[in-house]
Order: sequence, then structure tokens, then C-alpha cells
Amino acid sequence: MTRILDVAKLNKSFGGVTVARDIDFVLEAGAMHCLIGPNGAGKSSFFRLLLGEHAPDSGTIGFAGDDITALRSFQRIRKGISVKFQVPGIFKALSVRQNLEIAFQYHLHGASLGETVRRVLEFTNLTGEIHTPAGVLSHGQQQWLEIGMAVGVEPKLLLLDEPTAGMSPDETRKTGEMLHELNARGITILAVEHDMAFVQQIARSVTVLHMGAIFAEGDIDEITAHPGVQEIYLGAADE
Amino acid sequence: MNPIELPDASEAPARRGLKLWLSRLEGPQTMGRGPAFWAVVVLAVLAALSYPAFANDYVVGNAAYFFVWTFMAMGLGVVWGYCGALSFGQTAFFGLAGYAYGVITINIGSAFGATWLALLLAVALGGVFALLIGYFMFYGRIKGVFVGIVTLSVTLVLETFMAQTAGPQWRIGDARLNGFNGMSGMPPLTVPWPGGDIMLYSGTALYYVLLGMVVLCYLGLRMLLNAPFGNVLVAIRENPERAEMLGYDIRLYQMLAFGLGGALAGLSGALYTAWGQYITPSSMGLTAAALPIVWVAVGGRRDITATLLGCLLVIAGFQSLTIYGSQYALVVMGALLVFTVLVTPDGLVFTAINRMGRLFKRVRR
Amino acid sequence: MEFFPASFSIFYQFGNAFAFLVISCAGLAVIFGMMGIINLAHGEFIMCGAYVTASTARAGLPLPLAIACGALTAALVGMVLERTVIRHLYHRPLDSIIATWGISLIATQAVLILLGPSMSGTGTPLGSTLVGERSYSIYRLVLFASAVGLLGGLYLLFYRTRFGVIARATIQRPEMARALGVDTRRVYGLTFGLGAGLAGLAGGLYAPTMTMVPTMGATFIVESFVTVVVGGADIFLGAAPAAAILAVIKAALTAWYGQLFGQIGLLVAVIVVIRVMPGGLSAFIKRWQR
Repeated sequence: MTRILDVAKLNKSFGGVTVARDIDFVLEAGAMHCLIGPNGAGKSSFFRLLLGEHAPDSGTIGFAGDDITALRSFQRIRKGISVKFQVPGIFKALSVRQNLEIAFQYHLHGASLGETVRRVLEFTNLTGEIHTPAGVLSHGQQQWLEIGMAVGVEPKLLLLDEPTAGMSPDETRKTGEMLHELNARGITILAVEHDMAFVQQIARSVTVLHMGAIFAEGDIDEITAHPGVQEIYLGAADE
Repeated sequence: MNPIELPDASEAPARRGLKLWLSRLEGPQTMGRGPAFWAVVVLAVLAALSYPAFANDYVVGNAAYFFVWTFMAMGLGVVWGYCGALSFGQTAFFGLAGYAYGVITINIGSAFGATWLALLLAVALGGVFALLIGYFMFYGRIKGVFVGIVTLSVTLVLETFMAQTAGPQWRIGDARLNGFNGMSGMPPLTVPWPGGDIMLYSGTALYYVLLGMVVLCYLGLRMLLNAPFGNVLVAIRENPERAEMLGYDIRLYQMLAFGLGGALAGLSGALYTAWGQYITPSSMGLTAAALPIVWVAVGGRRDITATLLGCLLVIAGFQSLTIYGSQYALVVMGALLVFTVLVTPDGLVFTAINRMGRLFKRVRR
Repeated sequence: MEFFPASFSIFYQFGNAFAFLVISCAGLAVIFGMMGIINLAHGEFIMCGAYVTASTARAGLPLPLAIACGALTAALVGMVLERTVIRHLYHRPLDSIIATWGISLIATQAVLILLGPSMSGTGTPLGSTLVGERSYSIYRLVLFASAVGLLGGLYLLFYRTRFGVIARATIQRPEMARALGVDTRRVYGLTFGLGAGLAGLAGGLYAPTMTMVPTMGATFIVESFVTVVVGGADIFLGAAPAAAILAVIKAALTAWYGQLFGQIGLLVAVIVVIRVMPGGLSAFIKRWQR
């Protein structure tokens, strides 16, 4: 199996705070993987390092065989990464259709663009809202729109930052089903998550971060039973 | 839930070439669609075409003067309204292109269509300079109010520099820059014609030429803004981080939009110089720099039609008020600005058109 | 000794430029630096202070009192403006530029209409003194002392009075301040009034050296903006050292190439600083301090 992500010895500090400490992380293609850890563990920072919002102090990031450490964010996206942020990153003043068109148009044109828009609308149950300004949609619908924007061009890797934040249990379950569907189509999924129920619904394997370093890694059952993991979540000796 | 599939490559493309571009005359980024709208547009153009029959040459030349400024307004509309960057320095490109037109035509004369070449080169110079400034700003991650400050500084530097070019050593070829007093003596746009070149001084002939340019520019911008390029601009305005995370190099698009705005401002500048055979440093000064902001803010920056209409209305209104004294006209301008910001931040004209549109249409498409 | 007159001349030119920048930018530094509002009507508050100072001084009031009147009038006008217009624009910085520019237009043209193209001013007091072979205006030296005094006074105000502490807290963390019971709207109003008043003070101080025309604000606004932007958000760690550095640049360029190049130098400086040090000097100094 190929490695979709190959992170080696990643280090990053801001001022006096180390957010990434010698991280070695490998993700196989086709995985459904979650990144968990208590607040301040460095999950968001790692996420941003993967995306290129910050440059690491040292270390390398490999994506599908290419070294992307020096690439800017938009270049990494073009190589086949899609991202969905915690706060819905949609264009609120624009219509649902425009949002999708903007997401797909550098890959697709004309009829194929229209077709993909239509299919994504069906996939995300937003066909009736095609002309609605995205800001008017419910929170859950906005999240799905964003997922739709992220996957319409069939990325290799989908990164999600707390995709179910603010969702009702029903919406959360539907999101999990959506992600399984996408994974079945060949998209590797890596999600940062807090909601352990959701993690159990979607993840086959899990990485636990703590104070910027990898604390534990393994499949979902092992990790939930791991006493050390329970301890760091209960906030034993943190600071 | 249905699986996503990329469609077959063998599907026929819907439209291409001219038909594709014509279809972009309407779209999400521009107000106005459907036969009713275009009927109004055609009527307006017909009215403009027949205007010289009802007015004397001087008044028509004055109307041509109004047209000169619309390109700068539309350019600022693209940069500020569609791309989200408040440039306070469009007058820099205006002045640069104006002086360029003067310098070139004074040196090479007006025969054989040279003035049109000068116009083209002046606009290109404005555009290239704007691309440079745009590169400096957007690739340097300058944003928000600092774009305004940097662009204002650029135009003031140009004004201050040109103001001290009074001595005889300040010349390019035969063209003296002349400092505060400005450059004059350049020929107007001249059409080569057997039997005697047609000099387009302020008057009916120039009016028709400019009207044609305004219509072409307006339609061209509509098509560009509804094309994928326009979509990206608007995305950058709404959520630049998200646009970058969808794979767009936002710096490049901002720079290109800024270059377009600069070229259009340059077109206004060169045409202004050709219209009046005169250009001074004050065209790049503090007051001049703020005028395009007034037109676009009051007209409405989010839509190119509102910007165009707003520009014409404000300039015409301003001119009619200066009969009472330019102080009163400027007070009204100031009050208009404050009113617009507080009451109709999307622009007076834009809000008015929207309200009227809602009155006439009960059902949204 | 030849040394003293020469160095005094340099000191005088520097002090002149420094005083001008500090005094004229203080109000803007408070409003832009602390509140984030671009106040393009800054020049008109200066004009207001200058006009009131000149008229009251000609009516017989001693100059220091006349200047105080000018500053106070500008402060009151500022507070009215804040209540009516500025208050709605705190979250819309680009719109604050446009609105204040509109106000600036209204103010200059209204004064032009009501008071004519110029008004008689007062002469420069205190005369001149001879150092070496050149004569220097004593009043300009007083202005330099005033600039230093102004910085000291503002420091005391913001770091040693209750108002100052509350103002700084409100501006940095409005939600916290509100949670602690501070009437943030009043603080914003007073701070804006303070900024306007400082502008009026600048107008009053410089009134005896200038002709009273409605557009006199334009003389101040570009340079005060440059100083505030180069300085960054903090008056003491930013605007003050920025004024010092820019004064050197301006005085040097003016001496070698003339006044217009002095201006160009300042404008180029602000462009470079925005590109290289976006937070201005104060951000740079604060980072360096850590």
C-alpha cells in the first residue's frame, strides 16, 4: 500500500511554546484515521503544518511520494489534498451553486462542471438550495456544503478539522456515513476530532497527540482501552 | 446517497468561443438579466447616441468629459468591489498614463494614427506599473487598510515628484514636464483621413468614440466578471483563506485584478489628456485620489452597472452643483459620502436599483 | 567655538521636524493606534483648533489660554462626531476612511463658505535669538519643549491615571472591560474626544506660525499618517521613536534636495515599513524585547 502522508521529524515552536515535537507520522492510502488529544495537544498546529499555513522549524512532509515541505498552501491543495475546517469555510454571501463552482472550476469546465455540481448537490442533499446564499443555510448544511466542495474534485486526501463541531447527533451520524461513502470511493480521510463517539463511528486507526508529540497510535479499540490515554484526557499532570 | 462520479470525457462541451463569452454577459456577479434589462440597456445606448442631435457641440463635449472618468471608476469597482482591495491610488496610474500620452504624442506627433498608438502604450504603461505595485503589495501579504495607505502614498509620491519637475532639464525628448503647471500642447486623438486628419477635440465626434469605448468596456467587464476569473475574485473578497485552500494562488489573482484596474485608470488618464490637451500633477493629488472613491462608494462597488451609473450621476451632479460654487458642491459630496456609508453602505445607486427591482418583481428567479 | 553653532543648527532642524511630527500625530496615534479608526478628518480637527486659537487670541486671550480653548473645542466636536458617526463604524475600518473623508470635505468647505478663503492669524510670539550667525525662532524651541512635554503628559495620562488604565484595557479587551462593568461606549467617546483634542492642540500650537486657511489641515495629515503607520499601535514605543527617525530623514532630505524630496522620503518610508514591518516600529520593538 502506498503512503499518502509521510511526515518525518516535524518540529515547530512559537515563541517559547513547542507545538510539534519530533513528529513522525505515516498515513497509508485508503485509511480512515483520526487525530485526537486533549486541548492544547497540538492537533490544530499539526493540521496547519500539513496544509502549509505555517512552515516547520525542521522536518519534512511527504504527500503521495512528493516532498511538499516547501510548497505553499495552494500548491499542496492542487496536488490532491482537500480540507474542511472547523468553522465552515464557505462563501457566505454567494449561492450554494457558486460555492461549488468556485471549488471545482480550476479542474473542470462547461458541461462537466455543471454535472459535478449537480451530483454533489445530490450527495449533500442540497439540491433544493442551489440558489440560496450559503450563509442562510443551517449549520449542518453549511458543513456538508463544505464537504461537498472538498470532495467534488476527488482528492486523494481529505483533511477535516472537527467536522462535527456544532452538529446535532443526527447530523453527526449522517456526516459519518458520508465520510464512509467517500472513503469507499478511495479518498483517504484524516480527521482531527474531539467527539469520541464520532471517532468510534468513523475511525479505523487513531493517533493521540499530547503536548506536541505523538503519545500513542494504534487501532481504535486499543487506544480507547489505553490507560495512559485516559489519564491525559482527565488532565493529570499537564502543564 | 448517490456516489460521486466524474462525468465521461466524451460528453459534448456545451458552448465554446463566442457563444460562451456572450453567455457570460449575464451571471451571478452582475446585476440585471433577461430581455427587460437588455431592452433598457439598448434604449439607454440609443438615447446616448441621439443626444448630440439635441444639444450643442460644447455640451456634448462636456458629456464626453464625463465618459472619460468612467473607466477609472469601473476599474476601481473591479479592484475594490469585486476583489476587496480598497486602492486609494488609482490616480497614480491615471496620471502616469496621462503624462505618457503627452510625452509620446509630443515627440512623435499625431500623423498616421500615432495618437492611438500612444493611447495604447499609455494604457499598457498604467497596467504594467499597476502589476508592479500589485506584486509588491499582494506578494508581500499587504492587505486591508494598508493597501489603501500604500497606494495613496504611491500616488502622492508621483504627484510630489512631478510637481518639482519645473526646470528645463526635466524633459523627455521634446516634452517638458513643467512641474506644477503641468504639461500641455499635446495633440488630441487624431483619426487619419485622406483629405485631412480628423482631430478629436472635445465635441460630438469624440463623444461618439468615447461612448463606443464605454459600451465595449462595460460589456467586456460583464463577461470577464461572470467568467471563472470573476468567480475567483469574489471568492478572494469573501474569504481569502478559503480561496487559497481551494487551490487558488490568491496573490496572483489580486495582482491581475489590480493590473486591470490600473490599466483602466490609465485609459481614463490618457483620454483625459487627449480630451483637454492638458495634464497636471494635481491629477495625482490627495483630492483627486479620493474622487474615484466617492463615485464608486456612492454608486455601489459590488456591481459594475451600479458603479458605471453612479459615476456618471455623481460627476454630472457635482458639475451642476459647481454652478453655485464648488464649495457647495464639495459639501454635498462630503455629505453624500457620510450618508452612503451610514445608510446605504452598498451604494446609493445599487440600493436604489435593488429596491426598484424588488418592487417590479414579485417572484425571485 | 565653531562647533556649537553648527550642532545647534542641526539640533534646531531636527527638533523642528520632530516637534511637528510628534505634535501633529499625537491625536491620530490615539485614534488610529489605539482604536483602529482611520480618521481622515484629523487635519480638520487641527484646523478647528487653529481657527479657535487664532480668533480667541486676537480677541485678547493670552496665547496659552487661547490654545487651550482651541484644543477643548476640537475635543467637544470630536465627541459629538463620535456619538453621531464614528460609533457605527468600529467594525468597518474601510468605511471609516470614507466617512471621515466625507466629514473632512464638509468641514473644509463649510469653513470656506462661512469664514472665507483665509482668516487673519496671530503673529509668532517670542521673537528670535541669535546663535552663531543665524537667528532662530524661540517659539519653535518652545514647540520642541512642548512636544517632549506632550509625550510626558500622555505617558502620565495612560499609565498613571485611572482613565488611562481603563482606556487601554477597554481598547485591548473590550469584552473583558464590559464584563468588569466599564461603560465602554463612554470610554470610546472620551478617547476619540482626546484624540480630537490633541489634534486641536496641534492646531493651536502651530496657529501662530501659519496662515489660517480652511485647507490647512492638509499640511499635517500626510505626515501625521506616515508617523503613526511607521510607529505602529503604541504611542510611546512607536510613534515617538518613529517621529525621531522620520524627522532625521525629512530634515536631511530637505536640507540636501529641498522640501518636496523631504516629503517623498517620508512617503517612501511608509511604503517600505508597511512591507517590511507591518506592525510598525512598536511591534518590532515589542518582539525584540521578548
